[in-house]
Amino acid sequence: MVNFLKLTQNEIKKVYIQKSTWVLYMLLALIIIGGGILTVTTDVITKEYGEDTWKEELQEENQKLTKEMEEEGLFADYNTSLIEINNYYIENDIRPLGYNAWQYVQENAMLVSLVSLFTIIIAAGIVANEFRWGTIKLLLIRPISRFKILLSKFVAVLLFAFYTLLFLIILSWIVGAIFFGIDSFNPHMVMDKHGGLEYVSVIKEIIFDYGFKLVNLFMMATFAFMISSIFRSSPIAIGTAVFLMLAGNSIVMFFAEHSWSKYILFANTDLTQYVGGNEPLIEGMTLSFSITVLVVYFVVFVCASWGVFMKRDVAGN
Amino acid sequence: MSKQAMKLINLKKTIGKKQIIKGLDFEINSGEVFGFLGPNGAGKTTTIRMMVGLMKITEGDVQILGKSIRSNYKEAVREVGAIVENPEMYPFMTGLQNLNHFARMIPGISKERIQEVIALVGLENAIRQKVGKYSLGMRQRLGIAQALLHKPSVLILDEPTNGLDPAGIREIRQYIRKLATEQNVAVIISSHLLSEIELMCDRIGIIKDGELVAIQSVNEISDTEVEKELLIHVQMEVKPPKSAIELLKSEFELDAEFESGLVRFQCPKERIPSIIQTFVQNGISVYQVEVSKARLEDKFFDLIGENSIG
Repeated sequence: MVNFLKLTQNEIKKVYIQKSTWVLYMLLALIIIGGGILTVTTDVITKEYGEDTWKEELQEENQKLTKEMEEEGLFADYNTSLIEINNYYIENDIRPLGYNAWQYVQENAMLVSLVSLFTIIIAAGIVANEFRWGTIKLLLIRPISRFKILLSKFVAVLLFAFYTLLFLIILSWIVGAIFFGIDSFNPHMVMDKHGGLEYVSVIKEIIFDYGFKLVNLFMMATFAFMISSIFRSSPIAIGTAVFLMLAGNSIVMFFAEHSWSKYILFANTDLTQYVGGNEPLIEGMTLSFSITVLVVYFVVFVCASWGVFMKRDVAGN
Repeated sequence: MSKQAMKLINLKKTIGKKQIIKGLDFEINSGEVFGFLGPNGAGKTTTIRMMVGLMKITEGDVQILGKSIRSNYKEAVREVGAIVENPEMYPFMTGLQNLNHFARMIPGISKERIQEVIALVGLENAIRQKVGKYSLGMRQRLGIAQALLHKPSVLILDEPTNGLDPAGIREIRQYIRKLATEQNVAVIISSHLLSEIELMCDRIGIIKDGELVAIQSVNEISDTEVEKELLIHVQMEVKPPKSAIELLKSEFELDAEFESGLVRFQCPKERIPSIIQTFVQNGISVYQVEVSKARLEDKFFDLIGENSIG
């Protein structure tokens, strides 16, 4: 029995020893740092509200926002909601926190799609590259079942996604802390939830924002992994997975009139449609329905990957 | 003292409707170097792939130390080290990183063992360089190191001399002989070039169109039927050559020619003694008789057909 951890360790090492992986990380770091610099140099944010003067500062802000709306007719919806939030603080006598590291982390939740893209790239290569390099032959003539070899690769993909996500969150927080400060270790703020304005924990919001995006990441990574295992080609796997990731919503919209459209994977990957008073994409869909659909897709992807990989005759190219 | 290390039992492979391997039956003993010879496309690599479980066996079986690769894969493959086709490694890792990678896949390989294997193939100086920068010879040696890590009973090398220079070929030949005699490993070497493996193998199995057409010991002269009928090249230094040529024509119906002081002709080996006797009886002095060494090669071409060599 070979320690499964050692196999996974092998796979992770192979991912991180390649320079191309570090290029991805550098790209992510550049975006996070660049985003921080951009935010701090344009004065759209307030760093801190004075202990005694915060109410006046908020009212001042409101006047500025109103003026902007009336004179330039810009950002009407956005500014209205900002004014409402400011009023909520004043009415409830809560001194708002300035823009800080936590908020920066929360805003960077959109970068999870970049993490998804990177994970797709890794998942697409992790099986196909072994065939391309010819090393698959050396990998498979060991006293280890093919089932386990493939599993170690899948686990390595998930670990990569996890590490990259941690990298995104931690670097965002550090960059945020440097540029905007930390303010508090249990920050709260008023947010426009779909039931109206609420005073909520920012950390809880961060977990929700990132967590819901992970569903899509996980499904697309599994999909790319399957294509990689079946077609032994990472370009095909990257191409199809990225295309589907980008076109997913349009595909659902295109078929929205048909009753079967709710069975499309992408109609179910965004689980935020079930929380906070949101409307489901297609009438009649429920959270448990979506989870069932996701599980079925996942099982199909996994069976196809393992089925093909375990049966395949490994011959030359 | 030699026990069976690997045994092929009626091994067959069918891809689609085409039968690629048509029932191979032979065994390889411990401490023996077995040459697996055949023209390109004869089914050597397919057979090797089935030996190590990379390809499914359609019919028959491969047993390694009595363990079936079909039903007892893990234990059977534990005894095998192999290079299949080219010695491909991860180009972005160093030689040592590659060896560590494969060592982690089999339990019980110590750091000392890894160093031992590196020393055996003589890669101490290059082991911390990236494999992408290795020459083909170095990659071949790293491939052998990888195959030897877990002290296998059977070592399979697919075309190990491909792309090597003469010095490299000689070196590999020496490792292989050493492994067989000192560590009692059964070594299987495939090749399409007889001249390369003739020198390092104890036995040679010749495969053509998925069938084993002959198994031949390299050193012992066997008196098989084929052998008896096979013509060999004979050169003789005789005096006077003219009457010798006439005698060959009249007594043995052989066409001989006189070239650079030697009488040359072809005949079955069996007839040589009687030819010499006749010469002596007829007062012809025989100074020297030379039988061409290329016997095996002739046989090889005879068996597979000269044109099919690729």
